[in-house]
Amino acid sequence: MKHHISFTINGQSMELTVLSHQTLLEVIRNDLRLTGAKHGCSTGECGACSVIMNGEVVNACMVLAPEVDGTDILTVEGLSDGEELHPLQKSFIDHHGVQCGYCAPGMLISAKALLSRTSRPHEEEIREALVGNLCRCGAYADIIKSIQVASRARR
Amino acid sequence: METRDLKPFHYIRPESLQEAGRYLASEEAVKLLGGGNTLLLQIRSGQESPDILLDVKHLPGFGDVRYHHNQGLKLGAAVNLQHLVVGLEIRRHYPLLHQTAQKLASPQVRNRATIGGTLAWASPISELAAAMLCYDAVCHTWSPRGHREIPLAEFYLGDYQTALARDEIITHVHLPPFPNRTYGIYHRQTVRHDGRRMIAGAAVLAYRKQQALTHWRIAVLGMDNRPKRIPDAEAVLEGTPGEAEIARALEIVQEQIHPADVDYARADYRRASLNALLKQAITEVIHHLQSIRS
Ligand SMILES: Cc1cc2nc3c(=O)[nH]c(=O)nc-3n(C[C@H](O)[C@H](O)[C@H](O)COP(=O)(O)OP(=O)(O)OC[C@H]3O[C@@H](n4cnc5c(N)ncnc54)[C@H](O)[C@@H]3O)c2cc1C
Ligand code: FES
Ligand code: FES
Repeated sequence: MKHHISFTINGQSMELTVLSHQTLLEVIRNDLRLTGAKHGCSTGECGACSVIMNGEVVNACMVLAPEVDGTDILTVEGLSDGEELHPLQKSFIDHHGVQCGYCAPGMLISAKALLSRTSRPHEEEIREALVGNLCRCGAYADIIKSIQVASRARR
Repeated sequence: METRDLKPFHYIRPESLQEAGRYLASEEAVKLLGGGNTLLLQIRSGQESPDILLDVKHLPGFGDVRYHHNQGLKLGAAVNLQHLVVGLEIRRHYPLLHQTAQKLASPQVRNRATIGGTLAWASPISELAAAMLCYDAVCHTWSPRGHREIPLAEFYLGDYQTALARDEIITHVHLPPFPNRTYGIYHRQTVRHDGRRMIAGAAVLAYRKQQALTHWRIAVLGMDNRPKRIPDAEAVLEGTPGEAEIARALEIVQEQIHPADVDYARADYRRASLNALLKQAITEVIHHLQSIRS
């Protein structure tokens, strides 16, 4: 079954025709060619596909495309301001928050969702916010440090 | 991209219960869609192959949250689990619900998972069910035959079965009001930090009436084919429980559970784990309630 949906993604309005059984992840990667969000597990466990939907972090592999109608989506591509990287992105580069990088888009999105609620999170709050993001390289310590430094640097 | 593709189905967003009811009465295989955290996995694995998914998240009243000190708490079936973490009325009046939700899964899952879908999921390790059982929650449902109220204590039939009929929809859940001096604790042991692979889980709740501790609730997870309360053990704790009563309650719990061996923990280990978690939870509830000044 086809659905005509309209939504905003990274600040841009978008209209698309999607199928009932497509996921948000398929739409952003295949139709919109925004390949930042990654496919890891399709079971909601890894968080590599994390995006922000109406201000809240969700797994894009677990959202059906027709459910996206009328929502506001932010993917990792929407974090930077043109060529200017987001402070979180800079910090991930400076503090080695990226090893192979597969988890990084999801980690950045979860961190962004956290920082929009809590501007100076404790380490425990950062860990809680990342419970749904797995890093197969085990770079957690550097990821947490990157987020901590970025949150301190803000204002 | 090699995702495990979903088998085709029709996604439909009904505007009213009556409209949903018409689909449920049809010949097609219809499933209700909440947050999809369980259902989409079941479709991907081939366990379910619905023709139609009815998205019940937008039905009128399904997003409601209402608290009144005389009437208690009403949570619409489409309220998400993250609300239990952040909602002020939950933190203040139903702290065990808040505490349990905080441990449940991840922000990604909680932002999508609904009260209705989570209760209907009926897993023996459903952490929301444990907290809701302690608060005497009642499921309110609708079907083409009318409205029905099902106490959660009668809702889980075992082996993922619920008291819901095929065409019945949870509309909301109701929790009675509790006195200010109510306290609950939830402890669990899991292999993974996101709650997957549970070894044992125990929720305990009671309140203080003058010097007596009353209305004990003990709910255990992973010990049977459904989340369940152990009323015989609860009864032993009524009044001013001391070490002997705690020991007796723990003994009764052990007599009434049937944990299975799982690939990550043997049954006897799960028993021992539950015993330790439960003892700790009961002791903490007693200490907390006794430390409140009268
Ligand atoms: C990665 C991951 C980690 C998890 N960790 C935990 C954990 O730590 N602890 C824990 O307890 N659980 C955990 N879970 C399970 C999770 O809590 C459930 O998958 C989720 O809460 C189900 O809710 P939902 O709204 O997504 O349901 P859905 O998947 O949408 O639906 C589940 C079932 O309920 C039915 N249904 C939906 N709405 C209604 C309604 N209104 N009336 C009647 N039936 C309805 C559906 O048809 C379906 O059969 C985890 C799940 C995932 C994916
Ligand atoms: S791909 Fe979505 S959670 Fe792993
Ligand atoms: S850096 Fe490789 S998965 Fe995290």
